[in-house]
Amino acid sequence: MEIEIQLTDQPIAEKILSPGQPGTVGAWLEFRGVVRGAENGRTIRAIEYEAYPEMAGREIRRLLQDISARHPCRAAKVIHRVGVIPVGDTAIYVGVASPHRGEAIALLAEFMDRLKQDVPIWKRRAIADGADSVGRVTPCAPVEVRLPSSGGQGTARPTLKSLDEAISEIISHSRSLPAVRTPLAEALGRVLRETVCAPEDLPPVDRSMRDGYAIRADDASKTFSVVDTIHAADWKPRQLKTGEAVRVATGSAPPCGGLRVVMQEHVERDGDKLHVVRRENSTNVRLRGEEVRQGRPLVSAGTKLNAGALAILATVGNVNPLVSPRLRILHFTTGDEIVPPDQTPKPGQIRDSNSILIRGLLQNFSCDLEQGHLPEDFELAKSEIANRKSQIENADVLLVSGGASVGEKDFTRALLEQLGFEIVFSQINLRPGRPLIFGVNGSRVAFGLPGNPLSHFICFHFAVVTALAGLTGGQPPEFLRGQLAEKLDDKPCPRETLWPARWEWRVGQTFLSASSGDLPVACADNANTGQECPANQQTGMSALRPLPWASSGDITCLAAANALIRVPANCAGLSNGAKVDFLPLAAMIGGGL
Amino acid sequence: MRVLFFAQLKDATGCNAVDLAVASPLNTPQLWTELVQRFPALAAHRPNVRLARNWEYAAPDAIFAENDEVALLPPVSGG
Repeated sequence: MEIEIQLTDQPIAEKILSPGQPGTVGAWLEFRGVVRGAENGRTIRAIEYEAYPEMAGREIRRLLQDISARHPCRAAKVIHRVGVIPVGDTAIYVGVASPHRGEAIALLAEFMDRLKQDVPIWKRRAIADGADSVGRVTPCAPVEVRLPSSGGQGTARPTLKSLDEAISEIISHSRSLPAVRTPLAEALGRVLRETVCAPEDLPPVDRSMRDGYAIRADDASKTFSVVDTIHAADWKPRQLKTGEAVRVATGSAPPCGGLRVVMQEHVERDGDKLHVVRRENSTNVRLRGEEVRQGRPLVSAGTKLNAGALAILATVGNVNPLVSPRLRILHFTTGDEIVPPDQTPKPGQIRDSNSILIRGLLQNFSCDLEQGHLPEDFELAKSEIANRKSQIENADVLLVSGGASVGEKDFTRALLEQLGFEIVFSQINLRPGRPLIFGVNGSRVAFGLPGNPLSHFICFHFAVVTALAGLTGGQPPEFLRGQLAEKLDDKPCPRETLWPARWEWRVGQTFLSASSGDLPVACADNANTGQECPANQQTGMSALRPLPWASSGDITCLAAANALIRVPANCAGLSNGAKVDFLPLAAMIGGGL
Repeated sequence: MRVLFFAQLKDATGCNAVDLAVASPLNTPQLWTELVQRFPALAAHRPNVRLARNWEYAAPDAIFAENDEVALLPPVSGG
């Protein structure tokens, strides 16, 4: 690809010739980013740009070459103006020529996104309206420019992966690990990998539901002779004649079909003679196959085995179910400012809360967790890694908690790359939790979790849990529909927010009396399907109380949070009763979801 | 070693660049120690600053030597 790059302090020409050779080009795409008249809500007349020219040129070239490997184009021309640029003037010009339009559009879009992340060019300052000259910067009152820019010119595309995109990436890269057969006693929390069907009818024979006397269902006699006694474990088949009765115990198998059991409380017995005082409508017999017929599914593949599911497997003798393997998880904290919780931090240090947080959150998953700490010095960190080489290579999941200090993002990213992980994304468009890193290495996955406890908590629930579901073959966590029980105060944020909340379940009227009105809500019964039902039904609802939090380092809401409310980008708060999507936090509820 | 400052780091240090005489090559933490000693105001920017060495982003394990051009790059905002 022909590449031409210019950094100039002169205005960019109104008309620029197509950069490609005539005849080889089917599309010529031009983009101009122009200086807007407002910055952070203030009217301005110019912005001063600054560049590190030697490096900016190299980075632009590197980006174009990298992107054109995936979106081949014939030629690209990039002109970035620096110095003071008046409102309305072009700050950046990009022209792309390609055989067909698709490649040019794709290349341009990705280039602009990455330019704003990696090319060393800065908005230095905005020059306020009323300043007498745009040519001289010094005498003009500087206006703070928000850095990095949340959208300087042109492209409105988000430069970071959205929450949905990040979740899709995690799902597509977390492939299920080979299943294993495991004794029932070790299967709690594993994901069942083959559907278990009833090997026979349940119950396998008719069973008496009462202590009493079995007689023919069509026998209208008043008095009977007791011809036999059947205990719970007995198997004594025989046909009964009219006037004959057999003593049966609860759970025992009556001697033949077509019988009813008269409760012992409803008879008078004298030796072998029996007088029936009263008959119930029910036959008091649980019929063979009444619960489930042979061959019908009992527990489906993909079910996370809880105590109830294990009881079903035990009932049908499935003592070595095919399940997901026990996961091996390795968790490192980083940052020299971290001290163990039992030590008193010096000024500038903080206690490590993330290790115990991760350990607790993983309690509901069948896994072996190893934890360690990496020093901030990259050389020392590398030697620590070398010491734990086999442990790292054996781990299905690697979690690295960032310290809140130096170059956290680059450190974790470089660390994961050093360990052979391909970085799928290293930032997402989410608050809090933006510096989340996700990498893959074969079937192994790694996360760089932002070090602040609340970010940590949130990233664990939507990202790590999704990966664990993928690796085990289970169901990834799903957003449900609910309703705010209190208003949510927020300032507009350009990023989507996952807002910690308390999810409460209320029977209809109890909750409604405490809230403002008769708004439609999502029923708990229908929560899985997202269907809604009227509030006045007595079935109950998902009510969400937003919890206050001040920053991504805020820990005060962690104990109460059992859900995350999804607040759209640029949303200035939500009113009481607003319908919202929320993520239930299974690990905070007990894994029962 | 020449160290360049850009954007708000010029305000923090009051200069565009500084020449550091280094006896032996420095790793990243050592370089920061040197710089923060000379310009304490840089410490606050440290979490957001990326380092470049000879016009390329430097890896965390990079070594900075006498003849290198080093640049401190705050979050970029071009385009």
